[in-house]
Amino acid sequence: MPRRTKGSLERAVQAVLSAHQEAMTTAQVRDALGGDLAYTTVLTVLTRLFDKGDIVREPVGRGYAYSAPYAPADLTARRMASLLGERDDDRAAVLTSFVDRLGPGDEHLLRSLLDR
Amino acid sequence: MTAAVSAALAAMVAFTLVAPRLGDRLPPAAAARVLTIGSLVVAASTGFALSVLALTWLGQSPPIAWLAEWSASELDAASPVPAFVAIIGLALLSAASLRLVIRAARRGRALIDVHRAHHGTSNAVIVVDSEQPDAFTTPWPGGRIVLTSALLAALTPAEQRVVIAHERAHLRHQHAWWLLLADLAEAANPLLRPTVGVVQHAVERWADEEAALVIGDRTLVARTVARVALLRHDTNARQVAPAATGGHVPRRVQALLSARPRRQPWLTMALVLLLACSFLATFAVQRTGDALFDQVATVQDR
Repeated sequence: MPRRTKGSLERAVQAVLSAHQEAMTTAQVRDALGGDLAYTTVLTVLTRLFDKGDIVREPVGRGYAYSAPYAPADLTARRMASLLGERDDDRAAVLTSFVDRLGPGDEHLLRSLLDR
Repeated sequence: MTAAVSAALAAMVAFTLVAPRLGDRLPPAAAARVLTIGSLVVAASTGFALSVLALTWLGQSPPIAWLAEWSASELDAASPVPAFVAIIGLALLSAASLRLVIRAARRGRALIDVHRAHHGTSNAVIVVDSEQPDAFTTPWPGGRIVLTSALLAALTPAEQRVVIAHERAHLRHQHAWWLLLADLAEAANPLLRPTVGVVQHAVERWADEEAALVIGDRTLVARTVARVALLRHDTNARQVAPAATGGHVPRRVQALLSARPRRQPWLTMALVLLLACSFLATFAVQRTGDALFDQVATVQDR
């Protein structure tokens, strides 16, 4: 089997979960992927996807079962929404926003300009 | 060498004082470009001058003197720079480097986060379901325009076209990268803060002017900028910006309600001339520094 990059493995796991109706355990995901992937490798990828909010999980026995409830377009929108929410200094520095926040007094000035 | 270093620092200080004032009077595209490049030039020039200062003192430590093949005692005797000045130079240089590295690492991580967020879609414009009216652009490569459902719902179709034309201008001219470069120059040299503030304002004005050209109606662009700012303000009234960052939106609206700014070749020339002085002074620092270290070399070039 050709070597996979981190990103392509994430996409493969995402695709396997999206194709299944029911939630899958780590072992089931590994079997569905085929090949000779280590259990821990698959678990790492699942955990990373869960941390990003791309997939959900429910406790089953001593572990978790994972599922992918979002369509690809929803996923992008969800991630973009997270950019909206947590706009810290660093985010603000790399995104170009349409308008800044208003300073004190700007509101009245703008309303009077609009009324002209 | 003292004169050359002083000249380089003086050119830097002159730029930090003059650039924000002249930059505000230049047309926005010229202001953003000249001030960003100028900020990088003076920040680099200052870093180089401080390095040479620091080396006149650091170079006297035996391991460095041995590695560089010059005589520590001769350097001590020949150096025109008092030790305490060289040590201040070293301290400033270390602080600036540390600040630059931290800032670059944090902005780099934010860039990667943002890039990952739109991984997997080919849409150039992404609409996010949100009650917060907002619009922004993610940086090149693969830059996307992101609009919220609340913003689209509140705007007329003509106003939506203005927002998209403005954001497209950001993408076309890679504004995010100009801002990032100016921001990194400011990390290395905090005296550039007012200049970088003018660059940020100029970049928004640049996109406003492009939108006005595309749409063909300055008043409509002015109204849209004002309306979006007020919409955001009304939905999130608690988020009042600190006074230092405020004031940009009304100035943008006022500029759009007046005539298109004219070219100012003389002002641009004045700034370019100042940068040429900075270049010359830096070159002189390099020449005189080289001469000093050659003079104390233990191995003479023949």
